[in-house]
Formats: sequence, C-alpha cells, structure tokens
Amino acid sequence: MDQLSQVIDKVSHDSAEHDPEISRVIQAGLNNMLDELIEDCGDIVGAMVSGADGIAWADRLRPELDRHRFAAMSSALLALADNLMRETNDGTPRNVMVESDAGNIFIMHAGDSLLLTVFTRAEANLGMPLAHARKTAEEIGALVIET
Amino acid sequence: MMQLETDKIIFTGPVGAGKTSAIAAISDAPPVSTDVVCTGAERQLKATTTVAMDYSYIQLDEQRIHLYGTPGQERFQFMWEILTRGGLGLVLLINNDHPDPVAQMDFYLDAFADFIEETGVVIGITRRGINDHARLEDFQNRLLERGQIYPVIEIDGREPEDIRILIGALLAVLDYQDIPGE
Repeated sequence: MDQLSQVIDKVSHDSAEHDPEISRVIQAGLNNMLDELIEDCGDIVGAMVSGADGIAWADRLRPELDRHRFAAMSSALLALADNLMRETNDGTPRNVMVESDAGNIFIMHAGDSLLLTVFTRAEANLGMPLAHARKTAEEIGALVIET
Repeated sequence: MMQLETDKIIFTGPVGAGKTSAIAAISDAPPVSTDVVCTGAERQLKATTTVAMDYSYIQLDEQRIHLYGTPGQERFQFMWEILTRGGLGLVLLINNDHPDPVAQMDFYLDAFADFIEETGVVIGITRRGINDHARLEDFQNRLLERGQIYPVIEIDGREPEDIRILIGALLAVLDYQDIPGE
C-alpha cells in the first residue's frame, strides 16, 4: 500500500503541466489493474494507461522512458490505425501490435477516452498477453464510466 | 526531383490555433484527421485535439500540394520531425487570443528552426479581434529582432481564401529563396 501511494505521488507530481485531472480513486484503481495485469501474465513486463490525447494516466514502465512522450506516440499510432480502418472498411481496430526482437507492444482502446499499452517479453507468445490486456482494457473502460 | 516527396506543406502552431480547421477549409478531398477527445488540462481550451496528423491536398493548376497538420503539443515533437521530412515549407498559425502570442511564435520558430532554415515559413495570425494580445507589428518586430524576414498575415483560419493567400505567400517565399545568390 505504501508503495502504491508513492507511485501515486510520483504520477501526480512529475511534469505537472501534463497531468490529467483525475481522482485519486481512479488513479489507484488503474494502478491496481496494471499491477494485476503484470502479476497475472508473466509475459507482460510493462503497461501504461493514457488518455486518447496522449497524456499518461498511470504506468508500470521502465523509469527511463518519458511516459508522456510514450503516451503521445501510443495515441498517434492508434489514431492512425483507427483512420486506416475507417478508410478501408469502417471498423475499429481491436489493437495495434508492434513486434520486435526486443519484445512486443500492444496498443488498444480502453473505453472511449483511454488507451492501454502493454509490453511483452521477446519470447512471449502473442495470445495470452493479448487476452489479458483486452480483459484489463475492458475493466479500465468500466472503471472510468462508473466513477 | 521526386514530386510526391517535395510538394508537401506542413501546418503547425499551438493548440487551438486552427490547424485542423484550416486544412479542412481548403482541401479538395475529405481530410484525414486524427482528432480525439481531450482528457488533460487542454480540455478547458477545446473538446478535441489532433494526436497524429491532419492530411489532405489541394490542386493548384497542375500541381498537387499535400497538406499535413501537426499536433500542437510539445509531447508530439516526434510527429513534427516525421511530418516535416521532405516538406516544401511551413505554415505557422498563431492564435492571437493567447496571452502571449509573440512568445508562442518564438517557440515554434525555434522548434522548427532547422526545417525553416532549409525551406521557409509564413505566419498566419488567427482569432484576431476576439481578445487581441498583440498587434501585427509586434510579430513583425519580433521577427526583425530574430533577424528573420517572413510574411505575417492576419487570417480567418476557416476561410478557404485566407488559407490560399497563406499558401501563396509561402510559395513566394520559397521562390525567392531559390534565386541563386540569395
């Protein structure tokens, strides 16, 4: 619990001008969900929840990553994917997947205004982490609507 | 020279300057836009914001000019770099309703300094007459202080004719710079 509040403080205080105006209840809920996601699926090594407009809301990322820059890149990629689908067949993409030798990144919508980005280990298979991530994305969407 | 690579103009400027509207106003095809809802402090300024790019094109005589709009926020700087690659020049839109529009102009001129150096820029002042924080001369004087001479034009970003004037001014700047010996 102590660790959680430290994380909340960190999230609240760095780069204050970007910080989303969200309640501590939501922040704590998101942090819990990310912790659970990483705990439940051994292949997932990092995750982030961010606003569709590219602002990090909560993250379990390597500390050297600039989370707002990263959030901005995630939203740009997903927004382009949304457009691509709209241009071609009017669907909404379930996720964007980036595969690399160093690991995979999945980016997906979590409710109407949030995104979930997930990192996996390089050796991970794709199915399990994706299934876990989709479940978490749904929970995030529901949490934000409820509160 | 590869036509597709070079005939591309980039619209940039701060959040709320009217980049998306400007591209939508003059484009000859339905624009691609990546507007999403604002969740951060920007929510107080506007409901949606561009997160990847706006894209469309206009047909000028036989030349097709591709128009790309950047996100305004600094956290999207990676898109600024991606979108300016191979571009002809820059249209910088500045919202005169902002408390310090001249400083905003400074910021974007600095952020795009390398691209402007290689190409050129034209500055469009939008939202004039609502809550003006600077006069046209203030922008021109600031440019002179910076040792730069570029057109500063007052526009209505929703008016196709105004955007055409901006693009025409930019093309004139680029022509002038292409004169050997200049």
